[in-house]
Amino acid sequence: MKQGIKLHTINTNKFKTNLIAMFLSIPLTRENVTKNALLTSILRRGCQKYKTQEEISKRLEEMYGAEFNCGLDKLGKNHVLKFYVESINDEFLPEMKENMLKQSIEILSEIVFNPLTENNGFNEEYTNQEKENVKQIIEAKKDNKARYALFRCVEEMFKDKPEGLYKYGYVEDLENINAKNLYEYYKELIDSCKIDIFVSGKLENTNIEQLVEQDENIAKLKEREPKFNINKPEEKAPMQQANNVEEKLDVTQGKLVIGYDVEASKQEIENEKFRYIGMLYNAILGGTATSKLFQNVREKASLAYTASSSFSYYTGNIFVNAGIEIENFEKATDIIKDQIEAMKQGDFSDEDIENARKVIISNIEGISDEQDTEIIYFLGQELSGRNVSLKQYAEFVQDVNKNEIEDFAKKININTVYFLRN
Amino acid sequence: MQVIENLKVKEKVYIEKLNNGLTVMIIPKEGIKKKYIIWGTHYGSNDSKFIVPGENEVTEVPKGVAHFLEHKMFEQENGRNSLDVLSSLGVNANAFTTNTHTAYLYEATDNFYEALDEFMDYVQHPYFTDENVEKEKGIIGQEIMMYDDYPEWKVYLNALEAMYHNHPVKLDITGTIETISHIDKDILYKCYNTFYNPSNMCLVVCGDFEPKEILKEIENRLIEKKPEGEIKRIYENEDESIVKPRVESKMEVSIPLFTIGIKCIPPKQKEKVKTHIAIEILLNMIAGESSKLYQDLYKSGVILNMPSFEYEFTDDYAYILVSGASRNPDEFLEKFNQEIENYIKNGINEEDFERTKKMIYGEYVKEYNNVSDIARMFLNDFMKGVNSFDYIEEISTIDIEYAKQVLIDNFTTEKQVFSVVKSN
Repeated sequence: MKQGIKLHTINTNKFKTNLIAMFLSIPLTRENVTKNALLTSILRRGCQKYKTQEEISKRLEEMYGAEFNCGLDKLGKNHVLKFYVESINDEFLPEMKENMLKQSIEILSEIVFNPLTENNGFNEEYTNQEKENVKQIIEAKKDNKARYALFRCVEEMFKDKPEGLYKYGYVEDLENINAKNLYEYYKELIDSCKIDIFVSGKLENTNIEQLVEQDENIAKLKEREPKFNINKPEEKAPMQQANNVEEKLDVTQGKLVIGYDVEASKQEIENEKFRYIGMLYNAILGGTATSKLFQNVREKASLAYTASSSFSYYTGNIFVNAGIEIENFEKATDIIKDQIEAMKQGDFSDEDIENARKVIISNIEGISDEQDTEIIYFLGQELSGRNVSLKQYAEFVQDVNKNEIEDFAKKININTVYFLRN
Repeated sequence: MQVIENLKVKEKVYIEKLNNGLTVMIIPKEGIKKKYIIWGTHYGSNDSKFIVPGENEVTEVPKGVAHFLEHKMFEQENGRNSLDVLSSLGVNANAFTTNTHTAYLYEATDNFYEALDEFMDYVQHPYFTDENVEKEKGIIGQEIMMYDDYPEWKVYLNALEAMYHNHPVKLDITGTIETISHIDKDILYKCYNTFYNPSNMCLVVCGDFEPKEILKEIENRLIEKKPEGEIKRIYENEDESIVKPRVESKMEVSIPLFTIGIKCIPPKQKEKVKTHIAIEILLNMIAGESSKLYQDLYKSGVILNMPSFEYEFTDDYAYILVSGASRNPDEFLEKFNQEIENYIKNGINEEDFERTKKMIYGEYVKEYNNVSDIARMFLNDFMKGVNSFDYIEEISTIDIEYAKQVLIDNFTTEKQVFSVVKSN
């Protein structure tokens, strides 16, 4: 493959399907975030070979319901445009003569790399319709209140920083985008972004490199020095005072999110184990049914149905969330803060650690049982400039000890308390 | 053990009905690390009025008991919570309640048999006290309130309420804060003893198992129980008509949500699978991604995403749901009905029909990609009285004539309801 374009193959006989993914990664910026969202929307509308969405759909249905999907992800400081085709492996088709893998690569590369154009721009009609569509998606961010609360907390913590951007962009930025300037942007993006192509499925007896390299649209791509950020968490300056944000919306249940910083030194962050220590800390705090949050907020105090935490390695944060009665805000925050404090005091047993470890290892072992999960894991490795195999991943997790988790706990500091209420 | 093999997806299911009445289904998946087990009882939110086998009196319990029981099953007499025990073994355990069944499950890569000890022990040993029942009311209360904030849930439930006069399928699975306040430990025990008899249950495992071995492991962990007689379930008489054609609620949503519900006659046993397949083909032809309806409405900005389709059936009810989001839900409804009329009048296009059939075939194959989907599907279909393999076997037998008959029999506008949720 050419420089800047990487093919990853996962040969597995666990599935009835082949999954092909093409990821375009570029640095996440306010300037480009809305354009990227619009771009993914427009590309799926038509390409040179299948000019309308109807033609694309009919073609996919003809391929025994091959499924095209696209989306966007924020991975650390990168914005990733994701495109997938999932199709049935030839072995499970009524007629064996089809070469479904080749056909799938063809249609996917056609949609991503050979879009429908007119007068040196995208199709006007598609562009205008998709601008409306993206506007709607952006406005829908308040529809799921729990997700919105988490997003708002992140936004408050990363004001004017790429990490705080909404992945579908901003309504006011749509105005200045048109079919022509977006197409110019697209050409630039295709020539400079990092391209990762994943093929997962039963690939033996297939020369997959050749199949991909000789694909007409992929062959046309240029070599590049790909522009993207190598993901790694940054050092954080200690917060002087926690930020309290309250927002009102028409909700029955209050949604509480508390964002914590992991105030680790540069050296600690660069330690390969940092990520795995964080995962264990999080599992003990709020990642499992035996975790402190689940036990204390839900089971003991009966305050919530959902009470959990998550560890965001790329941004270096722990997020705690709970759905609670509005009037129980104080009670719930106190209990949550007590759990964070208990972690700092080392108030967790070897058994807690082993339980957490088992849950994490079991998740790691299950990664290769799901095609998309495995692909996304390796994309994450690729974008952080690492190549930790699933086996090594499990070994790292095995290796974390209590002292390390306690040290990690001491670096957790409250940044923002966000409460969505009525 | 009965073995059914499907040559199209190259999978086998081993089925055994044990002496105590329990049905065990095993779907071996060589080389997969995840093992999945799900144990379901044919007892859901619909079953709040029934006659216990051997009794003459009708028992009626508050709405929401099946779901409440599901929450409380994890509590153990030794003070431990089985969810914690399973979690500490590193397995992913959960449970859920539907209108027709309750299921307990876990997924494991390691410690499968240690987890099986706990799993089979807790499902067979309830432990309810006044105190632990009271405590759960707070947690379930928050779960009910969480659902209150989901507009998707509201639009769905409203559609069912508009379709059904009396049948409990129209009610919230969780019950309400009011109904659950009447639940106590005696009610829970009574329902447990009635519905958690092995003859009313089915256990499905999927993963890298040797069928005989895993069956033995399961048998070894069963406590002795005798099969019971039939539980008589009492549902109020339900008229074929709908309650009201339209229902609207106000909630904060960025774009109105809609659900079209069509109340159908429940299919006869022999027709269940075929009717289901035909309805899936028809819905995709009428409003699926390549349909004229969807393409036109997408271009004019009326809808932005493919609507979702559902056909749900049991022996005593059946309905179709078409749900989505639209700036102008009424326009979608109008065009949808025009298209049905058009199909009835002008017939079904053969090319579109064959292409859609191919697509549905592919969808069925994809359902065999992971152990949890497979096990859940077999359990769910078992509760409906069908075998999952039948879908992939029967699809080739569905022709245009059959589909047309299903269309005429089921897509009746007089039995259609329209539910909308929009902002003030």
